[in-house]
Amino acid sequence: MKTSAVIAVAVVAAFAAGPVLAHHSYAMFDAAQNKQLEGVVQEFKWTNPHSYIEVVVADDKGQMHTWGVECGSPAQMVKAGWRSSTLKPGDKVTVTIHPLRSGEYGGSFVQVQTADGKTLKGS
Amino acid sequence: MLRSKLALLAAGVCLIAGGAHAQASEPTQLGALAPENLAKKRPKAPWNLTGTWIQESAKTAVHPANSFRFGPPYPKFLPEAQKEFDAGAKATAEHRAYKDYIGQCYPAGMPVIMTRVWPIAMVQLPTVIYMVSGFENAFREIYLDGRKHLDPDLVVRSFNGESIGHWEGDALVVDTTAFTKEHHTIDTGIPISDDFHMVERMKLIGGGKVLEIAYTMTDPKMWEGEWTSTKYWKRVDDQDITEVECLPDLDQHLPSTQSSLNVR
Repeated sequence: MKTSAVIAVAVVAAFAAGPVLAHHSYAMFDAAQNKQLEGVVQEFKWTNPHSYIEVVVADDKGQMHTWGVECGSPAQMVKAGWRSSTLKPGDKVTVTIHPLRSGEYGGSFVQVQTADGKTLKGS
Repeated sequence: MLRSKLALLAAGVCLIAGGAHAQASEPTQLGALAPENLAKKRPKAPWNLTGTWIQESAKTAVHPANSFRFGPPYPKFLPEAQKEFDAGAKATAEHRAYKDYIGQCYPAGMPVIMTRVWPIAMVQLPTVIYMVSGFENAFREIYLDGRKHLDPDLVVRSFNGESIGHWEGDALVVDTTAFTKEHHTIDTGIPISDDFHMVERMKLIGGGKVLEIAYTMTDPKMWEGEWTSTKYWKRVDDQDITEVECLPDLDQHLPSTQSSLNVR
């Protein structure tokens, strides 16, 4: 697993997801930035009101961190091709997020690239 | 002799008290689903909104751009509300979530529950309209059977309040009171008091495919005059609501609710 946490000042429109079925404020996420996380899925929870992915990612010094990635609702994700079986623990993925502005290990979901090269957005 | 007079007096007091109690008792209110209530003769409702609806955010031919918030414009806030409004605006400018009770699993409450980005199932009967939001399955009922608001001393305050509706031409006018004020805000942290009162004027427009609700909200402890806002919903015949719970152990996995950028 290679660490890659590239912050790209995003062409947000390229990755723009539809309105998330959020149940609360998203003010803490930086929608102007896309950050790529290359890592391994620790957990993928398919649930309402938000699904989530936890991805274990190595930083530049090789230290492992678990990133929380907040997704929309399953109803919304199904329209983008998601299934509850789309991700499993141990899957290698590249997840793009809008990171937390605080620098904490978390963000809101933008898209995922699975090991077989399939790309899925949030809605 | 004295003992028997006292006994008579006591019996009289009991009778008087019993009679007073009987006079004070309210006639039994039939439940909204009681067959006898449903079968009562009433003028036919001008429309029926039974269906699944979601707030329409895009500008359409039927309505202007629609916000999920109830302001701006805002009324002139009184000091307590102004303080919270200012604190919320400051937090927003700093990209922080301000008193985001919904994110902590508190109910959204009226009017905010109506504008979550989730479908709402609505079932209209002659005596009542039931609304169940897809978001946290928040439940709301609007009585149409002519009942009055409960005595304030009896009503149990709630996040969605007690709603009573009546027809005025092609509009359903819904009066809602008895809100709980704790952890219940509008937009970004704007508080309400026990005196918060809401009137909704509902219409079906656009050939029955658009629900328009004009809100008039008053709270003499929080703002001056009326706070008005009009929202629109569209029918979504290809959607159902599902069970949705806000669970503390789910929240523990969501960066948004766990982040230090929350102002509690």
